[in-house]
Amino acid sequence: MARHAVILAGGQCKWGVREAHLVDLFQEGAKACFDDIPTLKPKDVDGLIVASSYAGRCSFQVNTAPVVAERVGVKPTSICTRVDVLCAGGSTAIILAKGLVEAGMADIVMVTGGEKLYTPQKWEVFYSELASVDHDWDGTNGMGLPPPFFSLTAQEHMMHYGTTKEQLAAVSVANYNYAATNPVAQMQKTLTLEEAMSAPIVVPPLTLYDCCPITDGAAACIITTDEIARKFSDRPLVYIRGTAQVCLNSVSANFPGAHLADWKHTKLAGEKAYAMAKVGPGDIKVAQTHDCFSISEVIEVEEFGFCKKGEGGEFCGSKQIEIGGKVPVNTDGGLLSCGHPFGATGIRQGTEIMKQLQGRARHQVEGADIALTHNLSGANAEHTVLIYGREPVK
Amino acid sequence: MSVLGIPILENLYPSTMDMWPLEAKEFNRNWQFYENLKQGRLTTTKCKDCGLVSWPPRVICPECYSENLEYVDLPSKGKIIVFSEEVRGVPLGFESPLIHAVIDLGANPVRRVLSRIVNCPAGVLKRGDEVQLSVFPVPAMPIDKGKLGTVMFERVFFAFEPIKK
Repeated sequence: MARHAVILAGGQCKWGVREAHLVDLFQEGAKACFDDIPTLKPKDVDGLIVASSYAGRCSFQVNTAPVVAERVGVKPTSICTRVDVLCAGGSTAIILAKGLVEAGMADIVMVTGGEKLYTPQKWEVFYSELASVDHDWDGTNGMGLPPPFFSLTAQEHMMHYGTTKEQLAAVSVANYNYAATNPVAQMQKTLTLEEAMSAPIVVPPLTLYDCCPITDGAAACIITTDEIARKFSDRPLVYIRGTAQVCLNSVSANFPGAHLADWKHTKLAGEKAYAMAKVGPGDIKVAQTHDCFSISEVIEVEEFGFCKKGEGGEFCGSKQIEIGGKVPVNTDGGLLSCGHPFGATGIRQGTEIMKQLQGRARHQVEGADIALTHNLSGANAEHTVLIYGREPVK
Repeated sequence: MSVLGIPILENLYPSTMDMWPLEAKEFNRNWQFYENLKQGRLTTTKCKDCGLVSWPPRVICPECYSENLEYVDLPSKGKIIVFSEEVRGVPLGFESPLIHAVIDLGANPVRRVLSRIVNCPAGVLKRGDEVQLSVFPVPAMPIDKGKLGTVMFERVFFAFEPIKK
């Protein structure tokens, strides 16, 4: 009988500027995950995949997986490793865990991700970000901190499609308001369109609420097979139906689209994941797309086919991303409000989608049965898509 | 010169904190790119077997995997397609205004190079403006040569600047 991967449980610690060490955060993330599934114990876990990109840079710790395994009390026997795909590390670890459990190479895999980005001196927090882009060719141009790159992206979207600043602000407003009651989000405040429109400038046209913050935090989830999951939980099963990861360039000059607002690699990743999941854009009831910047979400809803190319501004500005809209997006607050500890983000997204498909999300989308998560890594260098569903692919 | 909080690093060079490329021949097989830059030439590699011009330069052709590559000149003048200006909150290592631009250098594969605009105040640039290559020195890189001691290797990098009318 075919083995089908499911996400069984998940959780995250409080994200933000944390007075904690990286390994403290991983322990908190694991606890949040086990708290979500009291019947499952650390001894039941046979595999561990750790997603962290800045462990080596900011915590002086490479070969992070054994450190995390020991601290969270798991003793892996099938896999114990770390992945680094920056912003998509968590999603990548889920993809790998799916492959391992479906191949029979592992049974119960803990996927955990975390970053400790705030170091004792502020300059290093920002300076270290130079490692996020192609070091010699983009880092040297001061592209480590991403607002300038996404300013250019937003301007080209405005030039080609007439998108407005108000439409960008609508994304921030929606995502902040989703997170206003999320106790583990970095930003827990409501936001009005007026506040978003009058916020301090970062890099025009981007202002404060257009940009996700820098975040410390961790998250963890459990990937196993449907058959094993039934032994631990009677919640509805949430299957990982389709996955894709697309990389067509690293250096920004080799961007694959006709311009910076034409995300061909995103579209390709969506198409591949839809095909594997045997669903289409019209089947997606709720999504977690990578809103590192408000403009990102505007472009993502286009490239995933929730609306036509060029109409993302109108789609987001007309509340189609909110509860009751065509496709509610980032229902837990997304990167903009939850924050973005790179390796943990995909796990946060997967956990929110699991809750949506089990009918227990804070902002529940009624009848959610098929959902999508997405990450963009680096200077728009890689795209990762997962499609979850209440049924396995038949 | 001491490193605050880490006295053992006094007078030592941590290359893992260096924002500039390790351009010296000992650490980089594309060292010739930087030597050309020192002569005011923006260059890249072209495959002598399949003809592919790559950006950035390579040591192996990504198309046909030939190692038979040569350096060719790229245009040193171009036009701004779109640009961004960061005035406040500019990261360490860069001066305000930090201006980024997508520049059309008029030939593949550099029709949309993302670079920095220097020697330009905030608020004066326009889309379509012409810019030219600007090569500038960056801090020299200390290389430990054993018994010969530490040799300082001079380095440069590049950006673009407005063409004065």
